[in-house]
Amino acid sequence: MAIASGAHEETAAAARVGAEEPATRGWRRFARPELLFSVGFLVVALAGWETLSRLEVVHEIILPAPSQILEAIWTVVTLENFTRELGTTLLEVFVGFLLAVVLGVGIGILTGTFELFRKSIYPYIVAFQVIPKVVFAPIFLAWFGFGIESKIVMAAVIAFFPCLINTAVGLRATAEDEVMLMRSYVATRGQIFLKLTLPKALPFIFAGVKTAFTFALIGAIVAEFVGTYHGLGLLIQTFTFALQMDLVFAVIFIISATGIILYAVLDYLDRKIVFWRRGEDGL
Amino acid sequence: MPIITCSGVSKTYRGNARLVHALDDISFSAEPNEFVTFVGPSGCGKSTLLKIVGGLLDRSAGDVTVKGEPVLGPRRDIGLMFQTAVLFDWRTALENVLLPVEVLRLDATAYRPRAQDILKMVGLEGFEASYPNQLSGGMQQRVSLSRALVYEPDVLLMDEPFGALDEFTRERLNLEIQRIWMERRKTVLFVTHNISEAVFLSDQILVMTPRPGRVARIVRVSFPRPREIRLMKTPEFASLVFEIREILGVA
Repeated sequence: MAIASGAHEETAAAARVGAEEPATRGWRRFARPELLFSVGFLVVALAGWETLSRLEVVHEIILPAPSQILEAIWTVVTLENFTRELGTTLLEVFVGFLLAVVLGVGIGILTGTFELFRKSIYPYIVAFQVIPKVVFAPIFLAWFGFGIESKIVMAAVIAFFPCLINTAVGLRATAEDEVMLMRSYVATRGQIFLKLTLPKALPFIFAGVKTAFTFALIGAIVAEFVGTYHGLGLLIQTFTFALQMDLVFAVIFIISATGIILYAVLDYLDRKIVFWRRGEDGL
Repeated sequence: MPIITCSGVSKTYRGNARLVHALDDISFSAEPNEFVTFVGPSGCGKSTLLKIVGGLLDRSAGDVTVKGEPVLGPRRDIGLMFQTAVLFDWRTALENVLLPVEVLRLDATAYRPRAQDILKMVGLEGFEASYPNQLSGGMQQRVSLSRALVYEPDVLLMDEPFGALDEFTRERLNLEIQRIWMERRKTVLFVTHNISEAVFLSDQILVMTPRPGRVARIVRVSFPRPREIRLMKTPEFASLVFEIREILGVA
């Protein structure tokens, strides 16, 4: 009847509009203009860079050619201590990151749940956030030594703040209507928290977690610069002192690639777990 | 024996260093299975009154009883529907409908088929696994309605549920509400600023005026049921609508 079919009319119209959207399956999804331009731009940029280097317009100590960096990457990766340095940095980043997430989200939940805590302690935390935490790297070195502990602490301290603040903000994202709805079912505070407040906060929390990861990486590397026995930061320092800039760039590339891959994993998890978030980046 | 009684209800609150008299001495009663509407312009306190009856807001004076018992807070025999669907984005339509069942700790497996039936009844068969952002406004409100029905509250409070929808969807849903109400026999308190909607749906209309919110008149509507859209063409319907307009001072 007219009433029941109303819903189907609405989705049929939506389906017609959907038919005009670009393909998302098979090879065709790579044929989009923005992707082709993107790759093209990269190719042109690399070619230009290579040319300028070959022509010695740019001295190879300032900026080595892509071909040299590529060779250097191979050299670095095949160093006998490479695995150890890479492993050390990764361990520092992971442990610092996990500490930051557990503490940051945990205290964030405390802040969101206990009004007194939020009004009394939270302002100090926010004020502290303004300080560039990397200034503490030498202090952590003095306190914790040249081993991985000082790097873990540095990574954790920097990564802590986005976790905490995003969690605190996210927990306040519920609308009055939604809380009223839960109350109308005589929901307990615990039920409101688990079924409404927490899922509502998840997009914020995850955004904080992703930021925290990039910060943890920064923290670990900077702490390594200040003083370390092992790690990728140590390699950068060693090669810099020897003016082997191609090797320096190679390590930078490796760190970047590692960061990008791990971030992509987090991003994938984000999209799977927080599947209902509207695409803000146009995706 | 009325299922809802309201006597001398007033609501005053402090807003911006000024005392706001939202409601002043409201009294009415609703019989079981009656369709009662509060109609009036914005600011006449009709939503506030609805929330007070539902136990979600405290009153400053007066008494409210539902099924003979004073209303002290939210109750599971009172269901709510808002102007926006207020669905949870991370739950499918079916999971949204089952939300009250979970919170009230009822047996979810027993209620699942009932939830599916209700979704079918409101015309959403096939959309049980859809998420709110895949549904249109009218469809979301249907899910919200299904959710309000699934745990069988005796009283349904509806706060301008179709106010955010276009006219055609609204009319369709009005017919839907009437059909469901006739099938399931509940007491409904409905809030709207749309006079035609009020006359079309109700047995009893409380015409409210603002500042402070008062009941200016109680109007009885006795057109036979089921009512069809063409009823709105009749002179009797039009004159009733105009009578209410005159009471509100907008004739």
